Order: sequence, then C-alpha cells, then structure tokens
Amino acid sequence: MSEIKLKELIKNFGGNSIAVDNLSEVFPDGEFVCLLGPSGCGKTTTLRMIAGLETPDSGEILHGDKIFFSSKTGELVKTENRNLGLMFQSYALWPHMTVYKNIIFGLDMQKKTSEEKEKRYLELEKLFHLENFRDRYPSELSGGQQQRVALARMLAIKPSLLLLDEPLSNLDSSLRLEMRSELKRLHQSIGCTIIFVTHDQMEAMTLATLIAVMNNGKIEQIDKPMEIYNNPKSLFVAKFVGSPQMNIINTDKDKELALCLSNKLNIQKNSVKNFGVRPESIKMVKNNEGDINAIIETIQPTGADWIIGLNIFNKSLFLISSDHPIAKENESVGVIFKSEGCHSFDSQDLRIHKN
Amino acid sequence: MFTSNSTRQNSLLVSLKIKLSKLLLQPTFLIGVILVIILSYLVIAPIVSIFSNSVSLTMMDAMLSGGKDGEFTYKYVDRVFTSSISEKIFWIPLKNSLTVSFFATLIALTLGLILASLVTSTNIFGRKYLGFLLIIPYMLPSQAMATAWLTMFKNRKISGPQGMLESFGITPPDWLAYGPLPISICMALSYFPFAFLLFSSALGKIDIQLEEVASTFGAKTKAIWLKIILPLLIPTTMSVLLLTVARTLGTFATPYILGTPAKYTLLSTSLYSSVRSNDSGVVAVIAIVLSLIGVMLLLVDIWVVRKWQRFVTVGGKGIKRQPSKLGIFRMPTTFFAWVIFLIAALGPFIVLALSTLMREPGNFSFSNFGLAYWTGVNVPGMDQPGIFTSPEVITALKNSFLIAGSASIICGILGLLIGYAVVRLPGTLISSFLRQISFLPYLMPGLAFAAAYLSLFAISRGPIPALYGSISLLILVMVVTYLPYASRSGISAMMQVGPEPEEAGMVLGAGFWRRIISILAPLQKSALIIAIILPFITGMKELSLVVMLVTPGTELLTTQSIRFLDFGYTQLANATILIIGVVVMISVLILNRVTKTNLASGLGG
Ligand SMILES: Nc1ncnc2c1ncn2[C@@H]1O[C@H](COP(=O)(O)OP(=O)(O)OP(=O)(O)O)[C@@H](O)[C@H]1O
Ligand SMILES: [Mg+2]
Repeated sequence: MSEIKLKELIKNFGGNSIAVDNLSEVFPDGEFVCLLGPSGCGKTTTLRMIAGLETPDSGEILHGDKIFFSSKTGELVKTENRNLGLMFQSYALWPHMTVYKNIIFGLDMQKKTSEEKEKRYLELEKLFHLENFRDRYPSELSGGQQQRVALARMLAIKPSLLLLDEPLSNLDSSLRLEMRSELKRLHQSIGCTIIFVTHDQMEAMTLATLIAVMNNGKIEQIDKPMEIYNNPKSLFVAKFVGSPQMNIINTDKDKELALCLSNKLNIQKNSVKNFGVRPESIKMVKNNEGDINAIIETIQPTGADWIIGLNIFNKSLFLISSDHPIAKENESVGVIFKSEGCHSFDSQDLRIHKN
Repeated sequence: MFTSNSTRQNSLLVSLKIKLSKLLLQPTFLIGVILVIILSYLVIAPIVSIFSNSVSLTMMDAMLSGGKDGEFTYKYVDRVFTSSISEKIFWIPLKNSLTVSFFATLIALTLGLILASLVTSTNIFGRKYLGFLLIIPYMLPSQAMATAWLTMFKNRKISGPQGMLESFGITPPDWLAYGPLPISICMALSYFPFAFLLFSSALGKIDIQLEEVASTFGAKTKAIWLKIILPLLIPTTMSVLLLTVARTLGTFATPYILGTPAKYTLLSTSLYSSVRSNDSGVVAVIAIVLSLIGVMLLLVDIWVVRKWQRFVTVGGKGIKRQPSKLGIFRMPTTFFAWVIFLIAALGPFIVLALSTLMREPGNFSFSNFGLAYWTGVNVPGMDQPGIFTSPEVITALKNSFLIAGSASIICGILGLLIGYAVVRLPGTLISSFLRQISFLPYLMPGLAFAAAYLSLFAISRGPIPALYGSISLLILVMVVTYLPYASRSGISAMMQVGPEPEEAGMVLGAGFWRRIISILAPLQKSALIIAIILPFITGMKELSLVVMLVTPGTELLTTQSIRFLDFGYTQLANATILIIGVVVMISVLILNRVTKTNLASGLGG
C-alpha cells in the first residue's frame, strides 16, 4: 500500500559528521511513527528528505510503489507533487493571509471549486474548533490556535502521509497534553501514516504506535513503544527512553555492584560491560534483608511517586516508587533488584539477551 | 572490465539527471546565474576599463606625440604624480582634500556625539522633535548648504546677484566666503546627522544595566559617562570617523561651489576638470587613487570593528535610559541644539527660499517680495524664464523622476533578487560571488565610478551600444552604485523571512512562480517599498555620480542647479535645490507613513 520505504539513504551537509548515515527502514502503512532521538541526530533531515525539501546524496525513497527519489535511476519527484502534509515546528503560517486563506491554499493549488473549498473548510473548522477565526490573521491567534490552523491547513488536501516536525514543542504543558490527545484521535479517525519527530521520549511513548530511536544519523531500533522500553536493543536506546533515566553500572568501575547484579541475573560477568537497571525495578527493604545494602542520599517527592537517590559503594542510583520511603536520608536500607527491569550490555553496547 | 566502465558511465548520467531535475525544480539557481552574468559586466567591466585606461595611450595623445592608440604607457601615472602639473592636478588637491576632510570630520563627529548624547540621554527641551529635526540636513542635497552659504556670504569676487550680507553693506572677506573654511563647515553641517544617527543608535544599544551596576557602586552621572559610556562608544566613533572621511573625500558639490571662486581645488573637483578636458588617462589615475583611499578606509574600519569586538555589548534590554537632569545647563544646551538645527536645517531653507522671493537681495521692503523668479514675469536683469516656465527645469524635473525612479525600482527588485539567490543557495559559489560583487561598488567613490562608466560606455562594445548621452546610462550607473545598499537590505530581508513559508507552500503543491507571487512577494512588500524609496531619495539628491555623465537634454535637477550657478543665476539654482528638498521630504514622509519604519534606521547606511 502506501508505506514509506527508505533505502540506504545518505545525506552529508559537508561537515565532518554525516547527517543521515546509510539509513534503511520501512515505515508501514497506517502507523503513527515517532522519530525519537537527541538533538542533531538527523530527525529533521530525514523528514525533509521524505518531503523533498532536501535532496539525499544517495539512496532511495519510496512511497508505496511510487518512487520519490532514487539515485539509481535519477528519479526525483518535486515536493509539490508528493501530496503529503508537512507541519513545521514554527507552524510557518503565512502572516499575510487569513485563517481561511491559509487553510484553503492547498485546495486553491488543486484548482478546487469554491463550493468544494467551502465544504472542506467547514469540515476542518469543526474538527479543529476554529469557528469564529475565519477572517483572523495568524498573529491574532494564540499558540494553540495557530497550531490547529497549521494542522488544518496540512489536512485540507487529504494527504496520504503526514510529516510533523516537533509540532508540540512550542506549547505550554497543558496545551501540549490536549494537543497530544487531539493528534491521537486524529490518527485514529483518518488512519493515514504519520511520521512525527520529537526528542521528548514521553511524547513518543504516549503517541506512537511505533517508535524509531535515532542516533548519529542511524535508526538504532524501531518497535512498539513498550517493546522499546522493555527490550531495548542497545545501551543508547535503553538510556534514551525512560524517566528518570536507566541506572547504568559499569562493570569495571563499580565492581561490587556489578558482581551483585551478575549473581542476581545469573550471567557471566566478563561478557558484560554495563548493566542497566530501570529505576522502578529497584525496591527498598529493611537493612540487610536485600541483595545489597545502600545509603539513602536524597528523597524527592513528585506528588504521585518518590524519586530516591541511593548510594551503593560510592555509586549513585535512582529508584522510583509509589510507596512511602521506609527510611530517612542518610539512613541505611536493603535493596532488591527485580530482574524484569535489569539488562546487561556487551562491549559493543548491545543488549545481551537472557536465555 | 567492460561492464564496470559502463556502470560508471551510467551512474554519471544518473547523477547528472538528478542535478538537472534539481535545477529545474529550483529556478533560484537560474536566477543566480543570470544575476552573476549581469553583475559581472556592470561591476567588473568598469573597474577593468579604468585600470586599462590609466596605462594606455589615448587616441588624442597618440596623434600628438606619435605612438599607437591604446599602447601601454606610464605617461598618465607620471603626469599625475611627477610631472610639472602634478602639483596642480594632484598633490595640492590631495593636501586640500585631506585638510578639509580632517576638519569637516572633526566638527561633524563632535556635533554628532554631543547632540546624540543630549537628545538620547538628557532632559533637554524638545528632545522628541530634535531626534527627527536634526536629521533633516541629511535629506538636503549637499549643494543646498553650499549655495545657501554662497547666497549669504558671497562678495564681489564673482559675478551674479549680490550676497545678502553685502547688500546690507558688509563685505565678507574672501576667507569667509570661499575656500577651506566654508567648505569644511558646510560639509560638517551636511554630514553630522550621520554621526548623530550612529551615536544615537549606539547609545540606545548600551545595556543600561551596565550603568546601573556602576551607580550601585556610587558612581555619579559624570563618572558613568567618562568611565563607561564614552569608552563603550569608541568603536562607533572609529566607524563614524572613517565613514565620514570617505564621504567628505567623495563630495563634489561643496568644493565645486565654494572652492572654485578661490581656485581651491580638491581631488573631486580636480577629477572633474580632467573629465571636462577629456584627459581620460589622468581621470583614470585619480579615480584609482580615490578608490584606493576608499578601500584603505574600509579595511581600517573592518580592522577596527574586529579589534573592538569585545566592546560590543550584547543583549541590551531596550530599556530607555532615564534622561539625566541637566540643571543649570538645561537652557544653554537646549539653545545650542536648536541653534545647530537652525543653522544646518532651517537656515539653508530660509536663505534659499528668501533669495528666490526677493527681487533684489537684502531689500526687505514689502514691494521687493514676489514670485518673479518662479513665474518668470518681470525678472530684473535676467534673460531667463522663471522656474515654472523654464524648459530646462521642466526637462530636469522629468529626468530626475525618470532616472531616480527607474533606478530605484530596478535597484529594489535587483536587491531582493540578489537576496533571494544569496540566501536560498547557501554555501554555493554563486551565493558568495553575488554577495561580494554586489558590495564592490561600495569601495569606489561615485566620481570614480562615473569616470569608469564614462570610459566604458563612450563607444559601443560588442552587443552593448554606446550609451553616453543617454538616460539609460544614468539609470545604469545609479543602479550599480546603490547596489551595495540594496543587496544588503535584500539579503537581510530574505534572511528574516526564512525558507519555511515557502516550503509550506511547496508541500501544499505551489510551484515556483506561484510561491513567489502568493507568498514571498506579499511578505516582502514593505521591504520592497523601503528598498525602492531609499535609493529614490538618494538618487534625487545625487550629484557627484551624474555630474560628468549628463549631457544637454539629460540634465537632472541637481546638475541643472549647478548649470544655473555656473551662469550666475543664483536664484534659479536655489529654487531648483528647494524643489529637490521638497521632493525628498515628501518621499521621506511617504516612507514613514507606508512602512512605519524609522527613517533613522534606513538612512544609517
Ligand atoms: N542545512 C544544513 N546545513 C548544514 N548542516 C546541517 C543542515 N541541516 C542540518 N545539518 C546538520 O545535520 C545534522 C542533523 O540535523 P537535523 O536538523 O536533522 O537534527 P535533528 O535531529 O532534527 O535535531 P533537533 O532535535 O535539534 O531538531 C546536525 O549535525 C546538523 O548540524
Ligand atoms: Mg529538528
């Protein structure tokens, strides 16, 4: 159908690092894919290449069986003819056009009749709660309203593929929550493929049906959100997803702790370079009753949970728990590691699978 | 072997195909290439031609002294630097130019600094109005000040109607009427608004927290100024200094009007007489010297700016400094500022206007006033029609509008196109080439540039016809000279808009021209208006650039006023200058109204 296929895509801007490095991936039809990764890892570049705003150095981009770009055959479809929706981080609404003009621009380009335009506009107006804004200019709208106009403008032409580049990053937190559910509902009702760029892992976890974690111009792992969380393929993915971050224990630096974990997980210690322990997989018990003893360094209540800083043989770890802490700061407690949230990584930073 | 060869060929073809389709989908590249070709000819050709002129024998000299037309020769270099007339045509004018520039710059700088400090930072009376009023001299053509001076202080040494003072029975001495003193003063009064603008904006940019910190240590206002504000103004001062020197060196009208009667020649007027006597080799050499001085000043400026970079204060909050109370100095300083306004802006206007309204200078009886010089009825002792009926004035008015108008429209559009190509083709050769080449004319003083165009377009070359004596030549030279400003503002306007609005259009299916028309053009409307009106204003008062290119029939208002002066028709000259002043002021008002931009920021360049 209309999946997006990237084949050996390379883009180099001429600096010493490659923006997108030999990327091959398939984004299946109808999925809500989040491209997640740290700043500068090539998310925007990937998106812009799919949209045709940037030309790859080599590789292929296919949408269904339509070739958008191929360095093999020299094919290159103009952005104008790709029929996709792209939303910019800054929205890029045209300040000299009213909300109405902005939204029907794409229909104008398709030479639609005024009845068709009016009909589509009314639909979108209802969908995005834009009643009464028809003749306003973008500068007369709030951030959230601007964003809804940008979404409506993009959807007016009924694109088969939506590309969104950090569309929520300019909003305050409550509006962001609201827009998240709006986007999710939108995806369910329209059913088209969405590729969504973000560096906020919470956003990715809550919205996506598939998360693609990017690092240094490559996709390290693409999977369902919980799969990414529970079975990270690499140390990078494990560290990037989850908050507070996964605790990383280096087998060379923190020997005692590493020994304890390797015993607990029943794994050969020399094959492991790092252990990773999710904060919610650490449980506090009474002194001397756990796998190992720890000193409580800090206690931070977040409302629903407590984030507790522990010190075990001079290594700081964080745990998160919804139970009231059983001891005070500077007191000693026992600690139990739950094996579901404990991972081990080899010298290539790849996860070692448990048997 | 054979297969690998053919795949290589194939992949070459494929990459060529990609490049081609990229080009076609991005006409920006094509625009860039066309601009490169046009600008190369318009900017580089004149420079090349002037260098070649300086070392090749002219036809005239070839006939006189034997030798071949166009032969390589040091004759003109020798003539300018070492011959018996070198004193007269180069060394004395050089010394005079430097003297006058030095004093004019000194006065302009001091006035600018004092007035900017008073207006931005003290409770001087009328500071709101002074901010605008003190810029007015900048809007007057530079000959306004000079002719007003002449109208006032002229003595019997030259013909034409009496000077105003003389008609009261006071004969001004020669040193007051002509030569270095009045030239320096007039130039200073014409150019101080430039210093005023730059200092005002620099003072506005200084983060007042820097001053507040000092005052928490107990520093008094005076100490803050001496220890903090003035040192922070050093880089601005250096820039103002160098740019004002450059401007004064290139000025033609003032020395021509006030220096000629006393045989006081500057480089600019010496260049002009060489043009008049058709000595193109000498013209080229002097023009090169003027350009080299310009380049040198610019390099020094760049160096200074770089050296003082650490003085650049970042992130001023835009909070206005509380005006300091001047106490007993409030009256005297107010008086001083308004007197400067009176002398530099209002004075020339009144003097010029009065001179055109009085039949006989200095006679203030009611019956002596009238519109004779304007209507041409009952003009005493003159065989000329009045301003309203003079065919010369009407032609000049038409030409001025036509030339400055078309030049500024072309310039504005060209500037935005260059901006578009430069910003949208980042990192390419085209982008940096366009950026550099459109800046080149900035290095050459108008006079030198005009000299280059004169030699380039005197005869037809290849497909380009001889343009000398045509309106198009004047438009062309104006466009190229103002290009640095136009392209600079075009580039910054394009930078501000960014690629996203256009990309959003692309995604929604808008092709190149559609995007330009529906998205880019409306977004750049006010930038375009500014980019057109500013060169128009400059073009209306332009003299040095066009004075050697005009021919009978292509005179502009500015050059026509000089012709009137040459013939001793002072009143007609003054009236013409007044017309220019009024046109310029109206344009400025329109500019303010239409774009709501600050005039100050626009004229700052
Ligand atoms: N137009 C450009 N010219 C040169 N380098 C670029 C350009 N655009 C991106 N890059 C570089 O390519 C790399 C990837 O950039 P990209 O914008 O795709 O990152 P990103 O993942 O979107 O980051 P962010 O989360 O900060 O938006 C970066 O190192 C960036 O500096
Ligand atoms: Mg990005």
